[in-house]
Amino acid sequence: MSRAYVASVGMTQVGEHWRKSLLDLMVEASLQAMNACPSIVPDRVIVGNMFSGAGSNQEQLGAYLASQLNLVGVPAYKVEGACGSGGAAVHNGYLSVKADESEAVLVCGVEKMKDLDVGRATAALAMADSAEYTQFVGATFISLNALTHAMYVKKHGVAKEEMAGFPVLGHRNAASARHSMFKRPITVEDVIRSPIISDPIRLMDSSPICDGAAALLIVNERKAKELGDVMVEVAASEVAANLFTIYERPDPLDYVATRAAAGRALAKAGVKIGQVDFIEVHDAFSVTAALALESMGVSGPGQAPKDVTKGRFNLDGELPINTFGGLKGRGHPVGATGVYQVAEAYLQVSGKAERNQVKGAKVGMTHNMGGVDTTTSVHILRREG
Amino acid sequence: MINPISYWRLKDRYFNLLGTKCTKCGAEWFPPARVCRKCGCQDLVDHEMPHTGRLLAHTVLKEPSEEFRSSAPYVVGLIELDNGQRLLAQVVDVDPTGLQDDTRVRLTIRKLAEDTKRGTIFYGYKFTPLP
Amino acid sequence: MKPNSRVGILGYGAYVPIFRLPTTEVARVWRGEGAGPNKEKAVAHHDEDTFTMACEMARRAVRMAGVKELGAVLVGTESKPYVVKPTSTMLVQALGQHFTLAADLEFACKAGTEAMQFNIALVSSGMIRAGLAVGVDTAQGRPGDELEYTAASGGAAFVIGPATDALATFEASTSYVSDTGDFWRRPGEKFPSHLGRFTGEPAYFHHIESCVRAHLKETGHTPSDYTWAVFHQPNPRFPLEVGAKLGFKPEQLEPGLLNMSIGNTYAGSSLIGLASTLDVAEPGDRILMASFGSGAGSDAFTIEVTDRIVERRKLGVPVKDMIERSVKVDYALYVRFRGKLQD
Repeated sequence: MSRAYVASVGMTQVGEHWRKSLLDLMVEASLQAMNACPSIVPDRVIVGNMFSGAGSNQEQLGAYLASQLNLVGVPAYKVEGACGSGGAAVHNGYLSVKADESEAVLVCGVEKMKDLDVGRATAALAMADSAEYTQFVGATFISLNALTHAMYVKKHGVAKEEMAGFPVLGHRNAASARHSMFKRPITVEDVIRSPIISDPIRLMDSSPICDGAAALLIVNERKAKELGDVMVEVAASEVAANLFTIYERPDPLDYVATRAAAGRALAKAGVKIGQVDFIEVHDAFSVTAALALESMGVSGPGQAPKDVTKGRFNLDGELPINTFGGLKGRGHPVGATGVYQVAEAYLQVSGKAERNQVKGAKVGMTHNMGGVDTTTSVHILRREG
Repeated sequence: MINPISYWRLKDRYFNLLGTKCTKCGAEWFPPARVCRKCGCQDLVDHEMPHTGRLLAHTVLKEPSEEFRSSAPYVVGLIELDNGQRLLAQVVDVDPTGLQDDTRVRLTIRKLAEDTKRGTIFYGYKFTPLP
Repeated sequence: MKPNSRVGILGYGAYVPIFRLPTTEVARVWRGEGAGPNKEKAVAHHDEDTFTMACEMARRAVRMAGVKELGAVLVGTESKPYVVKPTSTMLVQALGQHFTLAADLEFACKAGTEAMQFNIALVSSGMIRAGLAVGVDTAQGRPGDELEYTAASGGAAFVIGPATDALATFEASTSYVSDTGDFWRRPGEKFPSHLGRFTGEPAYFHHIESCVRAHLKETGHTPSDYTWAVFHQPNPRFPLEVGAKLGFKPEQLEPGLLNMSIGNTYAGSSLIGLASTLDVAEPGDRILMASFGSGAGSDAFTIEVTDRIVERRKLGVPVKDMIERSVKVDYALYVRFRGKLQD
């Protein structure tokens, strides 16, 4: 069994790309990654994406991308897990290399959201949850998280100023990141004054609707050595599925899948949570970041908002999170996010994070959720040497 | 848009809260489970859930999916039925500002959406405070 | 018309939506000031319609009656959600009944009492044991027309079954009809048209009076034999006027008079007046009910209340409670709820 390494990454700017199609974005990110290692030709193409069908009338994205890259004859397919598609796609690339079925896998996550108006985008995002019992009753994806947020606040008595610490942190880190969508820092006041979208979630608690694509070359040990660059191993890649809806779960505030995936990943990598240098956590909404961190044991129950407000998760803090802005600041082109996270983790541990560098970063963790902790993947990247 | 044939299949689920019940351990499930989550038995039968329950949490939704646009704003609630099973539903005939968790609610059949192009109406459950 | 075997009402249930449009609002928009003949009318929310309201009333009636099977489900309405696709089948699904005679009836505001007559015949013939009659409407008035003051939403449902299980029994029913076009609507038209004052004497009064006089003759009763009288109520005045013309006293009509607070629920009007009267009736009381439907015709009934009413009606929701549960809306919200903005 081989080990798996990230050889290079590619990322488009996250934003409103009126002039770039789904394909344009995929190709741009993929070529960035591939051109960084011209000696490596991918022998497999995996695309992570949530709603190319509903959004662009396009399926079969694996062959669609491979064809444009002149990679005929290689295995190519799409992997879907709602907003966790990216993490699931990375996992699939990892498995192919670990099983010695591939030497170099191109994993590309992409989402084209801005071609849809808000009503249709909301409907497409809602497909992460039950068509028959969530979508049909008129609940949207945001409302599921709003209900979670309301229950979380009721249980732990969290102040809205403390929750606001997450988007404030996200924007601060995003301001200095090259590929992020938002460049303007925001304050706690900005967050708690922003309009309510689905009570109690406000506009600035929510990650934006946007376009983007990120790509990775995942290679085996031999290929990684040949490059002569810093070796970044995918030390663990774990995915876990939860009961499908929040109303089927005994405790909707318990992110069971996050805990399972994180637990297995840490064990696989032989690392304790306290030894992780940073975490790219899935902050689709402020409450998801809080619950994820608490489910992973990073913060005590109800404590994550206090921790972020105290500065524990700052770039120069005890345990930096969302070092390039996370979903809130960098952006959340849903199916692409999981790949952006791993790409960002690569930049951190390889010392290429520029103004966003976490000093001495060697081991990083990424956490990507599809739905409300429904398909969750956790990756651990570690620099060798 | 909601598919009319899928809707037809689900009528009794939507009008009468028909879930499933395990023939071995008696556990009741809504949405209907095909494999009992309590005992693993695969033999479950259709069974009507209680039509009353309490509100666990609620939110006022302002940005709906396309097909629900004409209804905004509306209240979406997480409801726990009297048999412990939970579901999501709109909560109607209430003033959202005064709405308390733990309010006792009951099922009422209302229009959910309309496909104005095809002229089909989709009805289903919403909940309203007792009595 | 007298049935061969005695049948009666096993249970009843009414429904009135919570929203009310004051007639001062209608007058404000169209006339600058003033009010209509009634104070307010009940307005269905945008997610309610004839079917959703029928579900509420039918479920209440069935719960009171305590029946498990219904041999017939007849819905009388002139505001069906689908012109072709019966409301009664949707109600059948909601009630969990399939082996039923299901049909929609239309005869303007008397379709509900017709549903009652058909059920009486089906039960007394022995063809079914119990059946459901529903009178319900989300009545629409043309914006700016005087009917907009009163055209309202609501109605009532009755489970008809054997007299041995009934809270009230039917002695007889009489119908009188003629081709009188006082109020009509062609397919494709959104709002009905009417002939103004002609809807009074030649329509409402002539048909109710002809019908009730014949009914009294058939049954051998006089107005003073009745404890209560319920008439179709298109506005607050007409039922009192026709009652007086026929020899009834205003006190006899009192519990059934709802137009002032909820308006005219069309096919639901007489039935909801009957439900409201049954809410206060005592065992042994005799009730006259006479509906009127434009087009035109009237159905009259003599109903006798039994001992069972006292316990049985505790399982229901009093009409008075529904009327009191009210939230005022203005003309703008009313227009949005009732879909009057669409073309």
